[in-house]
Amino acid sequence: MCGGKLVWTAFPTARVQQTLPGQYALSLCKGKGAVQPHRGMIMKLSRRALLASGIAAFAAPSIAFAQAETIKIGVLHSLSGTMAISETTLKDTMLMLIEAQNAKGGLLGKKLEAVVVDPASDWPLFAEKARELLTVSNVDVMFGCWTSVSRKSVLPVIEELNGLLFYPVQYEGEESSKNVFYTGAAPNQQAIPAVDYYLEELGIEKFALLGTDYVYPRTTNNILESYLISKGIAKEDIFVNYTPFGHSDWSKIVGDVVALGADGKKVGVISTINGDANIGFYKELAAAGVTADKLPVVAFSVGEEELSGLDTSNLVGHLAAWNYFMSAETPENAEFIAAWKAFIKDDKRVTNDPMEAHYIGFNMWVNAVTQAGTTDVDAVSAAMIGQTFPNLTGGMSEMLANHHLTKPVLIGEIRADGQFDIISQTDPVPGDAWTDFLPESAVLEADWKGLGCGMYNTETKTCVQLTSNY
Amino acid sequence: MSMPLRLLAVLVCCLWAGLAQAQIAQDILQSNSTLVEKASRTTIGPVIEALAGSGDPAAAVILGAWAEKGLGLRKSDGRFVLIAPNADGYTLRDLQGNDLGLAPKSEITELRPNAGVRGLIATALVQFNLSDPDRAKRAAALASIATDPTAEGLAPLRASLASESDAVLLAQKQRLERLLTLRFDPDSAARVAAIESFGADLGLDLRGALNPLLATRRVALAVGGSAQGNLAQTLVPGKTITEVDAYALLEAGGLAPARLTIEAQRAALLANIENGAVGGIVVADLNTQTARDRAYTALETAGKVPVATTEDEVAIALAQHQFLDLYLEPDAAVTTAAKAALARISQQVGLMQTADLALDGLSLASIYFLAAIGLAITFGVMGVINMAHGEFITIGAYTGFVVQQWVPNYTASIVIALPLAFAVTFAVGVAMERLVIRHLYKRPLETLLATFGISIALQQILKNVFGTQARPLTSPAWLDGAWVLNDVVSISYIRIAIFVLALLFLGFFLWLMKRTRLGLEVRAVTQNPTMAASMGINPDRINMLTFGIGSGIAGIAGVAIGLFAKVTSELGTDYIVQSFMTVVVGGVGNIWGALAGATMIGGLQKAIEWLNPSNTLAAQTYMILFIILFIQFRPRGIIALKGRAAGD
Repeated sequence: MCGGKLVWTAFPTARVQQTLPGQYALSLCKGKGAVQPHRGMIMKLSRRALLASGIAAFAAPSIAFAQAETIKIGVLHSLSGTMAISETTLKDTMLMLIEAQNAKGGLLGKKLEAVVVDPASDWPLFAEKARELLTVSNVDVMFGCWTSVSRKSVLPVIEELNGLLFYPVQYEGEESSKNVFYTGAAPNQQAIPAVDYYLEELGIEKFALLGTDYVYPRTTNNILESYLISKGIAKEDIFVNYTPFGHSDWSKIVGDVVALGADGKKVGVISTINGDANIGFYKELAAAGVTADKLPVVAFSVGEEELSGLDTSNLVGHLAAWNYFMSAETPENAEFIAAWKAFIKDDKRVTNDPMEAHYIGFNMWVNAVTQAGTTDVDAVSAAMIGQTFPNLTGGMSEMLANHHLTKPVLIGEIRADGQFDIISQTDPVPGDAWTDFLPESAVLEADWKGLGCGMYNTETKTCVQLTSNY
Repeated sequence: MSMPLRLLAVLVCCLWAGLAQAQIAQDILQSNSTLVEKASRTTIGPVIEALAGSGDPAAAVILGAWAEKGLGLRKSDGRFVLIAPNADGYTLRDLQGNDLGLAPKSEITELRPNAGVRGLIATALVQFNLSDPDRAKRAAALASIATDPTAEGLAPLRASLASESDAVLLAQKQRLERLLTLRFDPDSAARVAAIESFGADLGLDLRGALNPLLATRRVALAVGGSAQGNLAQTLVPGKTITEVDAYALLEAGGLAPARLTIEAQRAALLANIENGAVGGIVVADLNTQTARDRAYTALETAGKVPVATTEDEVAIALAQHQFLDLYLEPDAAVTTAAKAALARISQQVGLMQTADLALDGLSLASIYFLAAIGLAITFGVMGVINMAHGEFITIGAYTGFVVQQWVPNYTASIVIALPLAFAVTFAVGVAMERLVIRHLYKRPLETLLATFGISIALQQILKNVFGTQARPLTSPAWLDGAWVLNDVVSISYIRIAIFVLALLFLGFFLWLMKRTRLGLEVRAVTQNPTMAASMGINPDRINMLTFGIGSGIAGIAGVAIGLFAKVTSELGTDYIVQSFMTVVVGGVGNIWGALAGATMIGGLQKAIEWLNPSNTLAAQTYMILFIILFIQFRPRGIIALKGRAAGD
């Protein structure tokens, strides 16, 4: 029996180990008198490598063999790992949209065929799977990714192989790739209007920016910080905190935020907390008796899907900013919800914003392919710009030359049933790839139609770069 | 004043002229229907004030309905009606409360005022509701005054004190009355008395009321001049205010010309070189700032460059002025009292924050301890490196979720879930021991890899069964909320419950190991399996049972953790590293060690978070660095087993 001691050094939560190049150094050492051959042995193992190989072994790749008569659509969403909580739904949404299109007779006289792969919430694996889709399965278009780090990992591959990706999630901006269409919100379509709502409608004077520690919250909070300062909020009235993925010990952070109100100013929380850490956060808010009247929280990553795992009776009145809410009362939305519930065969399932983004993106792509008469990436990309399609919340969405959409911004208050009351809806706002609120990106512009460049410096009148290695 | 507002003002005047008409409120709403329909805090104020001041007996009902989404706009005729949702539409009443029948959903636009507008409505309703017979309405009115304290609130609040029958509300009203008095009462002595009546009260609302009293503005004036206002402090340039800021203040006040930057001075001097000299000074001599300043002053005198202040003149200008912070609050007695009160309070707050931090640390420690106690048995006592320990926690949490699907009463479901979680994970643990671990007792590395594989497999199985969505595990209502000592120190009941549970299991573990035959046999098998076997103990059975108990406790920990965090298939992975750390830091093979380890890790983590509040991830990293160092000095943990028990 091993009575030895174990020296364990690693990053604090297992979640982080999957995302950071962390390594366990594990030393099993026997003291004097031990007879086992393991004495003093030091073994190093990378948990991520283990995990990846483990998942690769479990997940049977569903690669279909080439059939000349189909148009192939790659679906690049994690079906396992930490992001599966959100991305599995999007995979199902794509299957539903493809099925519906096939029922209408397919596209260009061919059937559509979904090629589903599982990048397992492992960012480098996203690049591998994208390469596999483009070179082995020869897909014509890809719909996928959630979290900017996965998209950034895929970018070099699709730019090298000239693929086409539709990215359906709100993100931090500061990017415009020739090969990506961003159907989620840019900061000016979600974060900035939400802050304006705080300033104008709720009269918030002090801000707590709470986020998960990765690129989207950090960039968004940088943008918001400089925006708030430009609006006359003092720097010491902005409290910033970052927590790891899957954080669950929120007691002290919630206490800190409540204590911000000690100087008599009205405090508001802007949450870019992502994934399942939200559950512990909202539970702690409820336990601390923080009501939306005293301390409103506006979240950018919490939608109907995330709330379905929560008892929302204590969260009534807290806010979320999106471009779509399931409670929007339009005939298109009613039809979409009915189709989704029929497809998933579960009456309790909800719809959310990234699903609408895929719905708009997929339909625009179908129209662009029809218009171009081919699935060739360059022809479709050119036809995509200027495509319009009705939003599920009313109004038209248009694909702009910077590969972003025009979208209305909706602010909703959480109801006791886990749905949102839409209390504010703007006219469609054009997505801005490069924010105007950071000095280094204010001078940049993306225009793939007129300028043929995704990072154009309007001061020096030069294209900074064509590929997205930033 | 915008067009609608002007219209409104006219309208309100007309209305007052022809008061006592039944339809006033309706008319106000109808004539501002666009404003009301898309209500914004910035523009709706006058409409709400007009409604509240209209004298219409229905006004309070209408305002209340509006805030509660009970006001709608009938699309057919554009009239405002009171609405109440029913099965397939709304029941309608007109604003006087007369029944108007039913209407389908599509006929009515439900008005959804945002939180800002609701706040304004609540403020307007205060005067109606402070003495309302309905206790809930009175409480809402108080909450509204507390969120948006105004001078106007003071009089109705005082008037309502006498008639208040509810003891709790009366206490709230009295406190609020003092808070408003100290801010808005015209009588200086009353304000000071109100401030002093609080003593070193820790309430956030008190600090929120006192701090604005001490807001200051900065002024500069010539030496010898006397400032009009309530002096907070005199600033010394270079010490309490930087010279740059001080000069900027002079500039802003028009007391001094713009400051000359080094670059501008250089450019001006370059532009005025005549015959190798600037302002009479040879260029070669311009190698010091003093010389350059002299040259610039010479140019200034000659009128060749705009008047600007060079460095030497800045110093002179600063010396000729004094810089003061003045309170915005003119009453010196009030500011002095407020300052003293805040000083008293901040000392108390410091103490209480320390206590709060200690509570948080203790709570985190108990969570780690609960997660690690099962591991203290399987790893600490048996020496099995069980990477699937985290999944046992997850299975326990999911058991709780499943029980809640069948037993809707939350209290009963938790009572059932705790032993059931133990039973389920006990069974899984025993199965795992039988099938895998038994064959790998002498091979720790293989055990590690095998259990790690099982961990991944279990995670994926749980995903397939329960889906990827987080599942709710709701705590019973009596565990909702927090134990609040004051506005600084509070801890949620659920965390207290976990703390108690952790203590219970510490007791259970001690009883099991020290007082039962099983414990005796476990200790015997751990120390010397061969000898134990020759004494008639079956080591295989004991190992199986021990492993099962360790796993079972992990299952119970899962229910507890699920109650305050989330139930997903990754729940356990978040705790596996901390659990191993707890056991290793504390000292392998000793339950007191696990306790000490959990206390140290939890306390340390909170202490580092306090030092670095903006990045929790960094706090965890520092903690791990500390633990690496700690292990270097005490490789066997805090409480090291000695002698034969150490197993060396």
